[in-house]
Amino acid sequence: MKHRSALLLLALTPLLAQGPASPSRPAPPPSYKDLKYPPLGSIQIPDVARFTLPNGMKLYLLEDHELPVVNGTALVRTGNLFDPGDRVGLAGLTGTVMRSGGTRSKTGEQLDEQLENIAASVESGIGESSGSVSFSALKENTAEVLAIFKDILTGPEFRQDKLDLAKSQVRSGISRRNDNAESIVEREFTDIVYGKDTPYGWPEEYATIDRINRGDLRSFYQRYFFPANVMLGIRGDFDTAAMKAAIEKLFSDWTGAQPPVPEFPKVGPAPNGGTYLAVKKDVTQTFFAIGQRGGQLNDKDYPALAIMADILGGGFQSRLLQRVRTQMGNAYHIGAEWDARYDHPGLFEISGGTKSVSTVETIKAIREEVDRIRTTEVTEAELRTAKDTVLNSLVFAFDTKAKTLGRILTYEYYGYPKDFLQQYQKGLAAVTRADVLRVAREHIDPARFTLVTVGNPQDFGQPLDTLGSPVTSIDLTIASGNPAGMERGKQP
Amino acid sequence: MRGFRLCAVLVLGPLLLPAQDLKEFEKKVTEFTLGNGLHFIVAERHEAPVVSFHTYVNAGSVDDPSGATGLAHMFEHMAFKGTETIGTKDWPAEKKALDEIEEAYDRVDAERNKGPKADSSRIRALELQLKTAIDRAQGYVEPNEYTRIIEENGGAGLNAGTGLDSTEYFYSLPSNRIELWFLLESQRFLHPVFREFYKERDVVMEEYRMRVESSPQGRLMQDLLSTAFAAHPYHNPPGGWPSDIASLRRSEAKQFFDEYYVPANMAIGIVGDVHPADARRMAERYFGPLRARPLPPLLHTKEPPQPGPKTADVISPSQPIAVAGYKRPDQYDKDDAVFDVLQLILSGGRTGLMYRELVQGQRIALAAQAVATYPGGRYPNLFLFFVVPAMGHTVEENEKALGDLLVEFESHPVDAVALARARTKARAGVIRQLANNSGLASLLTSYYMSYGDWRKLFTSIDDLNKVTAADVQRVAQQYFVATNRTFAYTAAPAAGGGRQ
Repeated sequence: MKHRSALLLLALTPLLAQGPASPSRPAPPPSYKDLKYPPLGSIQIPDVARFTLPNGMKLYLLEDHELPVVNGTALVRTGNLFDPGDRVGLAGLTGTVMRSGGTRSKTGEQLDEQLENIAASVESGIGESSGSVSFSALKENTAEVLAIFKDILTGPEFRQDKLDLAKSQVRSGISRRNDNAESIVEREFTDIVYGKDTPYGWPEEYATIDRINRGDLRSFYQRYFFPANVMLGIRGDFDTAAMKAAIEKLFSDWTGAQPPVPEFPKVGPAPNGGTYLAVKKDVTQTFFAIGQRGGQLNDKDYPALAIMADILGGGFQSRLLQRVRTQMGNAYHIGAEWDARYDHPGLFEISGGTKSVSTVETIKAIREEVDRIRTTEVTEAELRTAKDTVLNSLVFAFDTKAKTLGRILTYEYYGYPKDFLQQYQKGLAAVTRADVLRVAREHIDPARFTLVTVGNPQDFGQPLDTLGSPVTSIDLTIASGNPAGMERGKQP
Repeated sequence: MRGFRLCAVLVLGPLLLPAQDLKEFEKKVTEFTLGNGLHFIVAERHEAPVVSFHTYVNAGSVDDPSGATGLAHMFEHMAFKGTETIGTKDWPAEKKALDEIEEAYDRVDAERNKGPKADSSRIRALELQLKTAIDRAQGYVEPNEYTRIIEENGGAGLNAGTGLDSTEYFYSLPSNRIELWFLLESQRFLHPVFREFYKERDVVMEEYRMRVESSPQGRLMQDLLSTAFAAHPYHNPPGGWPSDIASLRRSEAKQFFDEYYVPANMAIGIVGDVHPADARRMAERYFGPLRARPLPPLLHTKEPPQPGPKTADVISPSQPIAVAGYKRPDQYDKDDAVFDVLQLILSGGRTGLMYRELVQGQRIALAAQAVATYPGGRYPNLFLFFVVPAMGHTVEENEKALGDLLVEFESHPVDAVALARARTKARAGVIRQLANNSGLASLLTSYYMSYGDWRKLFTSIDDLNKVTAADVQRVAQQYFVATNRTFAYTAAPAAGGGRQ
């Protein structure tokens, strides 16, 4: 490699001579290999001020005076993993109607007007393993917006009309869930690999939505929204002492307590794998996902697994992109990811789309690349590229105060050390070629891969079962709900 | 939908700290133009050791030659394929192999051009020779070296986009690697090689299948444009028509590059931990050798007046979606700011009238949104109303409700509170963008290339503040009329095998 760069420079000279006839032509550019970089300015990770308020709420403050704005997020330990099996969708609806359903003193619409008149926002939501209420205000309106934020966090009214609206929105969403092939693949792959009968994989259905009533939302809210279960992070143009005093005063009358929130449910045993097909006639590409359960961010092998996935299908330089996209011209989107999660195993997933006729040959090529990374060491150059890619871009993890505060809150929420990213950096730097091969062998098991495809099998060229395993068809029919459900669900 | 140019107020006194008004912002900005016409805008933000780069080329799909739609997009893909020194194992040999591909392709085309008299077995033989030539050239390629260099140096947000009006290239680097960006970006426009053209053409076809053919919304928007515009190239999908894409030639891409990638037709934004003097020195060194060339010709095709309302129905088994587009003038029109205000009032946040009426009030829509400028702003374009019907509700119901809403809206001047809210939101929207390096680099170059001065990002807020309730009513009445309208929607195939 070293020799070649000198030769290339020689080859460049005559070509430049054909270039512009400028009287003061600058020296020919160096090869990128000869560029010398000064050391990178150090990343200033600002100190976040931490407090625990008398009511047990945790407060994190980070001053940021660049712009006259203040932003905040309350992280709440809850999640749709706590949905009851017959009311899947409850957490999501609670998160939506907390904001839209207004507070004791104001309807949702009144809040909409008041906030938007001053270009502010307060939003709420509950995801898989966390809930949040956040706000954004211009500096001059901070007090007004904080008051609304507090009312929504501590006293949502869950008005019935907004619950009805939210339920009909979720039902509309269910009715549309088979319109986009890529999202079908994502949903089915995730649900199958976690198990459709577990909180990690069970889908919202009309029936589970229909059963949910206002009382369910109130109970769900009450169980999880109490001061000791909230971490509030605020960033922006304020003085820390003054903000701390303001928050303490504002939340002084919020004192309820509940038993500590239990651990999230554990994921069940991994499935045995298999080949699945959902037929969708109105597409010209087959969308697919191949993979298995992955791991957690704090696994000791995580750095090596991240590198393995990056070499396999991370960037333009990765094996899958080079082979399937660049050489075969068979895909626009193709990639692999070891998606590790904070508190439960994530997914190892290779996903992409290819024209219907090249479905089988593309999946064969992907399997060959998976086998290759499990049988032979990656090259030194690949390892170096993968490490450099991650290590040199780590600066972007802390390049704004918003990201810094978000990261610190997230680490604390999941019980990770503050310097987790620095530890990861060290782990990554130590990964060897042998490590990559070892973790690929230990953690990747192609015999138990789940393959989900969505497309038009009559155009596949070769049938899917030529890949060697029987094909299970996925029934996309949406189970109809009980039309009486909504009525019955209403609370007196 | 990047047409909507949110305008800023940074001049309204107490709202902003003194450090953030236009005058103060100007102090962070340095501009210079090289002798060849290439313009640079550098904005300093030393909060973190990172820099974002944005190259804006004033050429997009509207400039695709007839019969070769997709060419601007194809070149964008080619710009990642390297140079005469990056991405090759042996450039002189590779160049020869690339030329041989073109010769082989010429022979295929020569036979095909005989039309009905063409000899199909000869075509097949020639195509085989072409494939052999392509494979031979592949042997000289150092695959994806150009992008690998960027990625292993920590490049973030690496991408590019081709729109109707422009082509843009962007990524961010740690700030100690600024010189690498200058080297790589200048080399790809000094010595583009168009390698792997025909493989990449297949990738672009896959992109079309993914974004358009396999997406109900993609098909709907394509049909909206091809129906609404009869003559103007906004008629064409930004990625081109599939049969055009399938026959694009490397020589055409080269020609397109020579004609449109002219230094004076491009601008570069650099925002972050950068010192303007360094930037200028490196700009001279690396981009100075780009040859000054005449600006490309202006597009002369004008869309003729629409003869009447138009409709496009797209057969799709998906749940219905609908969009109404009304012809509106270009972004240089005196009423441009009025359209921006209209968008904010009709569909901003939770108080937008469409949300209030169709989603919250009547509950006949799952989502409803207005877009002021589509698919581009440089030429007369469309003001869009996009509606996703709620379960159990039809396109017709939503179409009627939207029509009623507009009739009611036009019947009296908009209330002062809604107008003030729109102004405040626009102003705050810009403030919130100022702390984002890559967003700012994009805005500065796009305002510069569109209006000749990046300050328009700030001063256009004056235009927005001058918009009166009477203006809003007048513009709505003038433009939201049947003869400006194209209504496109998806519909389920009729039982028994579709429409006749």
